[in-house]
Amino acid sequence: MSRSLPPDLYGRPRADRMMRVLAAFGDAFFPLSTRPRRRCRPAAANAPPRNLVVATRRAEAEDVVCLRLAAPDGAALPAWRPGAHLDLHLPSGRRRQYSLCGDPADRAAYRIAVRRIETGGGGSVEVHDALPEGTRLTVSGPRNAFPFAAEPCVLFIAGGIGITPILPMAREAARRGLDWRLVYTGRSRARLPFTDELRQLGGRIEIVSGEEHGIPAAADLLRRAPAGAAVYACGPVPMLDGIKAAFDASPATALHCERFAPAPIRGGHPFELHLARSGRALPVPADRSALDVLREAVPAAAYSCRRGLCGICRQRVLTGLVEHRDHRLTDAERAGGAMLVCVSRAPAGERLVLDL
Amino acid sequence: MSPAESPVHEHDNLVLQPRDVRFDWSRLPMHWIPGEPTATHTINVLHLLLPAGERWFVRVFKQALPLITDDRLREDVLGFIGQEAIHAQAHQGVLDHLLAKGLDPGPYVRQVEWLFHRVLGERPGLTPERAREHVVERVAIIAAVEHFTAFLGNWVLNADALDLAGADPVMLDLLRWHGAEEVEHRSVAYDLLRHLDPGYARRIRTMAITGPALYWLWIRGARFLVAADPQPAGPRQKASWRGFLAASRRGLLPSPGAAVCSGARYVRRGYHPTQEGSTRQAVAYLATSPAARAAAH
Repeated sequence: MSRSLPPDLYGRPRADRMMRVLAAFGDAFFPLSTRPRRRCRPAAANAPPRNLVVATRRAEAEDVVCLRLAAPDGAALPAWRPGAHLDLHLPSGRRRQYSLCGDPADRAAYRIAVRRIETGGGGSVEVHDALPEGTRLTVSGPRNAFPFAAEPCVLFIAGGIGITPILPMAREAARRGLDWRLVYTGRSRARLPFTDELRQLGGRIEIVSGEEHGIPAAADLLRRAPAGAAVYACGPVPMLDGIKAAFDASPATALHCERFAPAPIRGGHPFELHLARSGRALPVPADRSALDVLREAVPAAAYSCRRGLCGICRQRVLTGLVEHRDHRLTDAERAGGAMLVCVSRAPAGERLVLDL
Repeated sequence: MSPAESPVHEHDNLVLQPRDVRFDWSRLPMHWIPGEPTATHTINVLHLLLPAGERWFVRVFKQALPLITDDRLREDVLGFIGQEAIHAQAHQGVLDHLLAKGLDPGPYVRQVEWLFHRVLGERPGLTPERAREHVVERVAIIAAVEHFTAFLGNWVLNADALDLAGADPVMLDLLRWHGAEEVEHRSVAYDLLRHLDPGYARRIRTMAITGPALYWLWIRGARFLVAADPQPAGPRQKASWRGFLAASRRGLLPSPGAAVCSGARYVRRGYHPTQEGSTRQAVAYLATSPAARAAAH
């Protein structure tokens, strides 16, 4: 950008006055306000990962185990709100997120419930088989990707283990005296955790089990919403997709779903990143993103959405064939070498040289 | 929400994520608040300032990333810059539409671009210590701007007069989606400033500059747009103070007095952005916003 002053706003034949004032001010101000000072210590991290211990564990339903995690010294834990989750760093090195399903008023422990999924990534099996009482775990959070806005009229829809974030919301709805109801679906009643606890809340709770009623259609679930209600839905992906698709035809006006981490990579091949300035070569396996690999080498590399939407992680490719998977870059930007490393990849064995 | 009801800081621990919103401007009238050119153009100044301004936020925050030593704050900053990048893109769409309708925002936009590069951009040849301070100073300016964007976000979420005046629903959704995300992430810039410089002087100094500069830019932008409007509402097309104040009394613009009081609250010792606006209201709006809901598909 040119350093000379831009023209007047109304086309008068002179440099713009306000811009001249601001430029002169900036030239005087920044040298004064950026004088190196006695370096103040950076503030302490406000939420370092913490160590917790599995205080109790019990079977909550068929294939569902419920864990209470407490501080080793019994100290009060940081507060949280319904919809919050915890990141568990499992002994195997896996990291998994689980919704907090206890009572926020109970500051002595965090409660999570985990369904065993044999065909999953192994996290739930590890929680079931390798976390006896007394195990120490590192956790981070709680963080909330599913906040409860406590609208006056609410329909909760939970599918199976999706009840975990909904349960504290229902508890808060009952406490606030909201007009709320819950539809709770699953394959069989024996597989649905927390049914007794829910009944104690005294709201309108309807259990729809596949054994008795068949699998309900999303539109049927949404029909239970009064006009103008807010819907909070959590459950298997096909159920949520159905609810999103059927939502506009429903009487409800607001839809809240948990915002999950990006979907796993599909159809990826291994390729290589080469950093032109440092000369480093970084192999990218088929199941990892270029961004994840890049961040290990360049920790300050910026990114945000990890879905190819926002463009923050954009890098410049000097040579190599990019397989673009983003929804953001224009053809001209792609032709100019731009690549969103959060989602875009390269064909098998390709070497992408980045201007880094 | 009263403090008794709110044991946790209301915003605490919200995961910030950009939403992939799209808006169709093909049916947007020039005066999208019918019969209210002054109010329409005063709000339109947002579309002139924000694309360049929010892209500048992103550049500064990217430079601040290596200075952050707190993992949670880093996650917040990363979520923040993604939201800001999408805001810039969404307002750019309105700028393109104005141009197509015969209102050329170019002269003003070029000045704003110049301002964010030449006056507020990188300064070459700084020592590493000075370069760090230059990043922190600009983070402080952003924290002051974000105080006002949260103020405006909170205002637009509650501006029922805009609905009653028949304002264009797509534009209202853009303003409220943006306003809700501003309320949702209102603490991030301030928390980042406190992390990099917990002192009081920098906060006061940057607000003392940012508040008046923003006000000045805004008035100037509104005057420019009213003068450049190809569909004049009367024979003498000029923005007047009387027009601004009348629109703000009718609830179509925020009151200048409320903006000044809000700026004054920023310099209180015990200030924190969570004291302004309601996360609950922002979250509730985002669940009804047509654009945000379509983005969640």
